[in-house]
Amino acid sequence: MRSFRFPFARVSPLLALIPLVAAALLLSACGEGGGDAAGGADEALTVYSGRSQPLVDGLVERFEEQTDFDVEVRYGTDAQLLSVMQEEGQQSPADLYWANTTGALAQARQANLLAQMPDSLTQQAAAFQPQSGRWSPVTTRFRTLAYNSEAVDTTALPPSVLELPELSQFEGRIGWTPTYSSFQDFVTAMRATHGADSTRTWLNQMQELNPKSYSSNTPMIQALADGEIDLALTNHYYVLRLKHGGGEGEYEGEEEGEEEDEASEEEEAEEATRPGAPVEMYRFADGDVGNLALVTGASVMRQSDQPQQAQQFLQFLLSPEAQEFAAQQVNEYPVVEDAPVPEYMMPVDRALSMSPQLQFDQLQNLDATLELMREAGLM
Amino acid sequence: MAVGVAVPVVYLVLRALEADPATLADLVWRGQTLRLLGNTVLLTAGVLALTTAISLPMAWLMARTDLPGRRLFSLLGVLPLAVPGYVMAYALMGATGRSGMLATLAGIELPRLSGYAGALLALSFSTFPYLFLNLRAALRGLDPALEEQAQALGMSRGKVFWRVVLPQLRPAFLAGGLLIVLHVLGDFGVVSLMRYDTFSYALYVQYTTSFDRIYAAWLALMLLALTAAVLFAEARLLRGLLYHRAGSGGAARPARRLRLGNIGRWVACLPPTLVAGVAVGLPLAATGFWWLEGSYLAAATVGAGDVLTALADSAAAAAPAAGLAALLAVPVAYLSVRRPSPLTRAAERTAYFGYATPPLAMALALIFFTLRAVPGLYQTLALLVGAYALRFLAEAIGPVRAALYQAPPRLEEAARALGRGPVEAFFATVFPLLRRGLVVSVAFVFLSAMKELPLALLLSPTGFRPLAVSAWGYAEEALFAQAAPFALVIIAFSAAFVGLLLWQEGERKGR
Repeated sequence: MRSFRFPFARVSPLLALIPLVAAALLLSACGEGGGDAAGGADEALTVYSGRSQPLVDGLVERFEEQTDFDVEVRYGTDAQLLSVMQEEGQQSPADLYWANTTGALAQARQANLLAQMPDSLTQQAAAFQPQSGRWSPVTTRFRTLAYNSEAVDTTALPPSVLELPELSQFEGRIGWTPTYSSFQDFVTAMRATHGADSTRTWLNQMQELNPKSYSSNTPMIQALADGEIDLALTNHYYVLRLKHGGGEGEYEGEEEGEEEDEASEEEEAEEATRPGAPVEMYRFADGDVGNLALVTGASVMRQSDQPQQAQQFLQFLLSPEAQEFAAQQVNEYPVVEDAPVPEYMMPVDRALSMSPQLQFDQLQNLDATLELMREAGLM
Repeated sequence: MAVGVAVPVVYLVLRALEADPATLADLVWRGQTLRLLGNTVLLTAGVLALTTAISLPMAWLMARTDLPGRRLFSLLGVLPLAVPGYVMAYALMGATGRSGMLATLAGIELPRLSGYAGALLALSFSTFPYLFLNLRAALRGLDPALEEQAQALGMSRGKVFWRVVLPQLRPAFLAGGLLIVLHVLGDFGVVSLMRYDTFSYALYVQYTTSFDRIYAAWLALMLLALTAAVLFAEARLLRGLLYHRAGSGGAARPARRLRLGNIGRWVACLPPTLVAGVAVGLPLAATGFWWLEGSYLAAATVGAGDVLTALADSAAAAAPAAGLAALLAVPVAYLSVRRPSPLTRAAERTAYFGYATPPLAMALALIFFTLRAVPGLYQTLALLVGAYALRFLAEAIGPVRAALYQAPPRLEEAARALGRGPVEAFFATVFPLLRRGLVVSVAFVFLSAMKELPLALLLSPTGFRPLAVSAWGYAEEALFAQAAPFALVIIAFSAAFVGLLLWQEGERKGR
């Protein structure tokens, strides 16, 4: 008589994997859960980044090399991360929040999520510093109207972005990014400078021109270069990156030994460079909200269990090395003095003089902005 | 398992009800919601119409005429299933536009596809096989006697088609149409790339751009309600449809094929060739083109390492999900076959519910649930794996069920009679017979999960970037060259899925 064999003995290797995999699954679930609960000092520094990976990874690697810290970055949109931090509350693993927009930082400050930081840290970007002292600017950028120079005669363009809806000849030919955070900051600034009613009117009138909504700026600028649209409301560096690709110039040679990582970052930024593209930037009259200066900023989280290290990382972001990275790679402006910018960038003083004078902390209450945009049927 | 589906939905409802009524009224009952509903319905109806216009003539040509190369065309009618919707959308976008493939290679400058037209084309060409396969099978199975009688009674050919053939195709149309409608309602990749506002896309936009998640929760609920309404309507339409032959009928003979004539044969080849060209040729050409473009632009290439990492990430989620789904499928299928009861039927129903639930709504429900109830699970691989297993469980149940029908209960009874316990008897007799079915189940779920996008997008843990998310992310940024290698790998996996499907069909027929 044949003896009874346990059937798994004859099962194909693939099936035998199932219990193993299931076990591994359980272990991994427990492991990760446990990791969150532990909170030792050896734990990695956790950064929540509303900025995208290519703009952050290179900096994180350098910081890790210089300090021996472990840094873990969680990427998302500003809103997504802020919403998560609010849900996570005291248990949030976030040590530092690096946001793409002032609106998100102001919101975080209101929700009392941000720690007070020492003056030594906040005074470095004094020119851009918010009154609250709860967060520090890291880079500056400007809103702008990009246009296709083959299709648009600049004399037809108005001195103020508020008059943009009068350009009925561009019906269906204007691009914008309602869901993108910088655009929302710009609407918030319009609310702060011109009031909610004017802003509502502007949004509604713009809607009548049937603008094309893009989910992000890079494809919009590509469409502008391709002649699919004639005008685009965007941030200055998207135009510069299309034409100059970022990362050009003398920067590479200076940092010996770290070029490999750097090179891969540059590739990300260089991806779709088109030097001859017929895309230019139009500047509205000085002080117009269409030339708005905006900053990205970072802050140490209140519930962080390693605020010292988080401050150290923020300090690194403000160092000449990191500031130059932003200027060279992303074509954003430094917030500390004397960090060089590539030649093709307008001097920062000139750009700043064109922006309306605003306290960055004024760009808060994003909820009201979103409400206006929803009313106008933008999202 | 039912708990896995139901509890998150309860959390979704709780979360949605948190809003104070005044805000809610402003937020939910406004023009925008109506517009989203209109857009969603318009897209669904459009896709249904276009897929019908593609599938019905093609199915008729394959089943009822002497078209040359019928077998090849039939295969080409299935292959589009190897191109996920978001890859199709990517291909259409990469082929058009001033710097697109058609402009570069052929000098044909079409405006870059977007909006309704783009979403309609991408969804139709990636989903029409569901309808085509159903209609072709139905046309083949019809008893020709009915048509012959109608003709003998003096009806013209055209009238016979409208009055006799078409009505009999209704069940097949409903079955294929339901799959397509569920697909369109749940789709996120296509509408997001084409920037067409439907419930899914609006849900994603609200989730990523707004601090407040209540509107996202409401959109998810509305999407769920719409899906439920469709399922309900389909069940109602199907009720009372009886088209079987009177008596046992014996084996139906196949209908006589219409002779197309020498010129007609070649003319009739054109439409199916065109369809296959757009649905299969274009995605391959566009990804290939951009892949080559990418390797010319030295700076723009994505390294092989990036693709391998994405591949590993995808597999790390898909493999355990496949194992888990197969593991769950065994008891569900076993109980529903051997011990049918309302409870086991409900369990099986739940599996199909997981398949029909729009994935973004499912993801959002899981996010709310884990954040509130089990924060340790939030943003873990385990959650993504569990979500995949629930979503694709239905695919795992099918093959296991089929295998179970082949395992006679007597074997098990004999083992019990010889003194084995119920578990031991199961493993000694039934389980060995299930092995093949299980392998197929594992493979189906694995391949489906490899190309899945919306769940991966919302539930992936920190730093986790599977193939689908990479391809979609690059395509969304209009970085077509960077998206190409990921899209190609996805097509390869999907092709394996379709190959498996065809092989299984062949097996079934062979028996």
